[in-house]
Amino acid sequence: MTESLVVFIALNAIFAFSFYAVLVAGQLSLGQAGFAAVGGFTAAALAPEPRDAGELPTLLLAIVVGMVVGALAAVVLGLPTMHLRGVFLAIATLGFAEAVRILLINAEWTGGANGMSVPKIVTPAIAWVCLALVAYWFWRQGPSSYGRALAAIREDELAARAMGIDVGRHRLSAFVTAGAVAGLYGVLWAFYVRLLAPEDFAFGTAIDGLVMAVVGGSTTWLGPLLGSGFLTAVPEVQRALGVEAGWVRPFVASLLLLLVIVFLPGGLGSLIPRVRVRVPKDGAGAEGGGRLVERPRTAEGEAVVRVRGGNKDYGGVHAVRDVDLDVASGEVVGLIGPNGAGKTTLVNMISGVVPPSSGSFEVLGTTPGRTAVHKVAQAGVSRTFQHSKLFPRLSALENVLVGAHVVSRPTFLRRLLWLPGARRDEQDVVAHAARCLDRVGLADRAGEDASSLSYGDQRRLEIARALASGPSLLILDEPAAGMNHVEADSLSELIGSLAREGLTILLIEHNVGMVMKTCDRIVVLNFGEVIATGTPAEIIEDPAVIEAYLGGDDAGPARETEEVR
Amino acid sequence: MNTTLKMLAGTGALALVLTACGGGDGGGDSGGDGGELVGSGSGDSCTIDSPVPVGAVVSLTGAAASYGESQRKGLELAAEKLAENEGVTYDLKIEDDATDPKQGITVFEDLTKDRSVIIGPTLSNTAFQAQPIAQEAGVPVLAISNTADGITAQGDYIFRDSLTEAQVIPQTVEVAKEHFGLEKVVVMYSNDDAFTESGYKVFDQALQDQGVEILDTLTFSKADTDFRALLTEAKGQDPDAVVVSGLIEAAIPLVTQARELGIDVPIIGGNGFNNPKLMSDSGEAAEGVVVGAAWNSASEGDLNKAFLADFEEKYDGQPDQFAAQAYTGMFVVDAAVRANCSGEPDDIRDGLTTIKDLDTVLGTFSINADRDAEHQAVVQIVEDGSFKPLN
Amino acid sequence: MQQLLNGLFLGSLYALFAIGFTLVFGILDRLNLAHPAVFAAAAFVGIELVAVGGLSIWVALPLVALVGAVLGLIIERVAFRPLKGRPDAHFAGLISSIGLGGMVIALLLWRYGPDTRRFPIEAFPTQTFEVLGARVTVLQAALLVISVVLMAGLTWLVARTRLGRAMRAVAENPRAATVLGINVDRVTATTFALSSALGAVAGALFAMNVNSAQLGMGSAIELKGLAVIIVGGMGSLPGALVGGLVLGLAEVFAVQYIGSSWRDLVAFGLLFLLLVVRPQGLFGSRRVREV
Repeated sequence: MTESLVVFIALNAIFAFSFYAVLVAGQLSLGQAGFAAVGGFTAAALAPEPRDAGELPTLLLAIVVGMVVGALAAVVLGLPTMHLRGVFLAIATLGFAEAVRILLINAEWTGGANGMSVPKIVTPAIAWVCLALVAYWFWRQGPSSYGRALAAIREDELAARAMGIDVGRHRLSAFVTAGAVAGLYGVLWAFYVRLLAPEDFAFGTAIDGLVMAVVGGSTTWLGPLLGSGFLTAVPEVQRALGVEAGWVRPFVASLLLLLVIVFLPGGLGSLIPRVRVRVPKDGAGAEGGGRLVERPRTAEGEAVVRVRGGNKDYGGVHAVRDVDLDVASGEVVGLIGPNGAGKTTLVNMISGVVPPSSGSFEVLGTTPGRTAVHKVAQAGVSRTFQHSKLFPRLSALENVLVGAHVVSRPTFLRRLLWLPGARRDEQDVVAHAARCLDRVGLADRAGEDASSLSYGDQRRLEIARALASGPSLLILDEPAAGMNHVEADSLSELIGSLAREGLTILLIEHNVGMVMKTCDRIVVLNFGEVIATGTPAEIIEDPAVIEAYLGGDDAGPARETEEVR
Repeated sequence: MNTTLKMLAGTGALALVLTACGGGDGGGDSGGDGGELVGSGSGDSCTIDSPVPVGAVVSLTGAAASYGESQRKGLELAAEKLAENEGVTYDLKIEDDATDPKQGITVFEDLTKDRSVIIGPTLSNTAFQAQPIAQEAGVPVLAISNTADGITAQGDYIFRDSLTEAQVIPQTVEVAKEHFGLEKVVVMYSNDDAFTESGYKVFDQALQDQGVEILDTLTFSKADTDFRALLTEAKGQDPDAVVVSGLIEAAIPLVTQARELGIDVPIIGGNGFNNPKLMSDSGEAAEGVVVGAAWNSASEGDLNKAFLADFEEKYDGQPDQFAAQAYTGMFVVDAAVRANCSGEPDDIRDGLTTIKDLDTVLGTFSINADRDAEHQAVVQIVEDGSFKPLN
Repeated sequence: MQQLLNGLFLGSLYALFAIGFTLVFGILDRLNLAHPAVFAAAAFVGIELVAVGGLSIWVALPLVALVGAVLGLIIERVAFRPLKGRPDAHFAGLISSIGLGGMVIALLLWRYGPDTRRFPIEAFPTQTFEVLGARVTVLQAALLVISVVLMAGLTWLVARTRLGRAMRAVAENPRAATVLGINVDRVTATTFALSSALGAVAGALFAMNVNSAQLGMGSAIELKGLAVIIVGGMGSLPGALVGGLVLGLAEVFAVQYIGSSWRDLVAFGLLFLLLVVRPQGLFGSRRVREV
């Protein structure tokens, strides 16, 4: 085991962490080689001579410069590209990295292809200390409210928005973290290998970093280290085993890569058991929650939703037409109508998920459509989706914790410093989430992955998640769909008890019995228009409603485009 | 079944990581200890009991693999030849740096543990990154293909048998100018490669010194193979010659495409063009290409003729300059070992400084006070499908 | 004029290469990064068929396409199908195809060695002729025709045939396609075979066009291919064609008017700008994916 191998494992792991930083938020970026390059080159150019300043101060200064420059580059690249997703983001960032490389090759001060000579300062100890700090950062980040928000964005961006998470800001901050960490890598690399050449930050370097991060796995903070250890050591091990130099080595290395990816979903990190948030023993019952963020409450009778002339066109199809709707605080309003009547589109517009084509929408002082989804959610709107949009790879409890995002205090920075307040806040939020789970009867399922729950349990989990934010307006989109009688009955009891607590509820439901039982007022939609409004008793007598329903579900236009997928 | 496979893959991966941590030390017991590497006698009569451990780091895979492969052939052929001599035997270990500086550094560090001298690496950038390790460990290095400035300035254990661009190119420009009466040229080079970029700088300087006008300087990437846009641009300038600092990968497509586009003026290249593939793969198009280089493949010297024949016999193909310089490298090391009749690193280092007027396939070869090589460079022109000396 | 033609030839090869990328992306939403390895493999196999097997290039080309198709089937089976339904399939597919691509390149290194190779000089006509003052080789003209015919054929296939309809259905919604009785696995495999066959032909043609085949030729064109599919619009066939031509011409004219050092910067700048302004590309339709 040579010194350089020890150093390269640490350096590669740091580079892999810069990919991990965005992978945890579900972003695929290949720009890290570019960040590392600008960070490394700027730092090497600006750093003083170690003779004058001493080795360690020189390196520290270079690290600061490199990380700041890397982070700035990430901001510059991030602002125009944050709206891109998946492969598009990967290619845009790749284009950036290539552009950086070409600029560096053509610049005078970098020495072109011949590179820049840099004093060697980094030792194995320095490299591993830096790695430890980076790893520590991500270890503390994971279970913080910030880390959970990133995981939620990775799992389902829209649902994350609807939970009040500012997706743009979170994605950008993940990106900037990646930039800073990549900048650190660039500096360490420069001050270890003695010669800094643009070549060191080519496409292949970015791919190597991504491969290490993915092979290591993005579900545990140890992943990048595992990935780096594995991929950096493979050539060494082959050499030590006496595998002949030549084609066999890259072949075996590629084969191992393929095997790990195919047979170890989640990468090497999946071999390590995942630590999950647990409910404290006395959690569910205990009083507390005093440390949760207070949310404004609406006064009884105050207008919560006010829609005037709401319209939504989908390429000429009017999903919603001239709808007026008022919901006052404390009311339970049922929204019914045949399939394709525009119910879901209407609540999508009310929660800000879909912008209206025209009309005025006012919800809790926000104007959905113009106000960002997460701001509408922060104002107190919480919802479930017609087709469950849970965070499948998070546990039931973690799902609810994400739901509690807007009421939990940020804990990441305090977690970094091990401040006791962070722990208390975490416990309070967990206890609060556990109470929400208990309320829907899922207390004993807290540790299970959302994706492994039964359909009915998933629907209830979504309600728990929506409740966790302590909303003023709760929108339930067909919560009883797929439930059996017993489940539906307990659901309608739950809704009743929520209403008694003064929560405003907007309920879409096909189970007319349930709507009749729970709602104060019912609005009936057909072909995107309101055809009737009134108390349950009035609605049941209304000829237009009878016509719409007897005219048949089938007559409704099959406009499933309105569904939230 | 799926779980079993998972387990297998998992344990395999872990085992690899573990062996990586545990292994490595295995090769640590140095062959350099004891007095076995110090022999008796001197020069041809020198006898050393143990084989002298020689390490070589070349790029056998990755982007520079074709050069590394040539070097491997040259080194192995030389080792075979040297084994025929009495007294001193060599244990040659050739390692691959995969054209990756990380692996170059690691391999160098590995080899400094049990090798008395290291040959390589293939690329100049890797040389700057890896050779200081040997310098610090006190193991002499003989570079066999690095042409960049400052390689040997890294320390007193760093030598090379490859001529720098500055030793080859000015002469090439001078001869070519005289021969073709050059007045104005277009220069092309790949600007993302250290070898070709440093070659370009020397070309540029030499052309200015000779008073040849540079109409335009065009750059390409070493991965490029389609040069038509650049060549069309060059053709529009109506130059007397096109001067190219590029590697053989670029040379073949560049030369053939130039002729297709009707550029019939001479094309002048550097060390990178000194490769028999230029003629075999470019055919007619290669005619009239001028190559300034460190190795005269057409030399009538006995050593060179024997080298060509041996190489042809062993590998069924012709050697290029990389092979010739690698081949010479082993013989230079042999001369250095025999000079003090010792295979100890420090003695080899001292021996290398004394090399003077050694007869090699590159010609009469000396190592100067800067630890750089000195021998006759050559300017060749392709005629009837083979290199002919132009000077 | 010469530059225009240079750009046209270059662009049509970019397009042919990129179509393979875009075809797979269109149907699976995944990038197949083993595609560049197929590109290189095809060139080397083609050279062996012609140089050693003594075949005419017109016989060798279909064989190369066949080899490509087989490679495509292997890629699909080994690197993509096992990942089906995994939540991280997006990233995992990238990595598994990189791994498989690396294996292919290693095998090429073993079989053919690291040196550059080329199609034998006498394998194809070398005479040049003049078009409007620009020199064109017969080969180049042939390459252009082949590229255009292949692309037109593919467009027809996707738009008009049963297979094409099945492909589009799978691209739209795999689950719904299954319900309609389409064998999704088979359609996916066929798509891979087609895409790799095109990539293979592109590789062989490219090697002929530049008189050189190298192990790294695939990775050299990979970035260009990615740029092309973005410029043209992911999953759009005419987009890939136009994107290829735009890129080829942009490169050529960047050399002429801006300077050769900035050529690749122009390509990536173009790409970047387009992504920011019009992420769906010139021809891509913004997927009507409701929220």
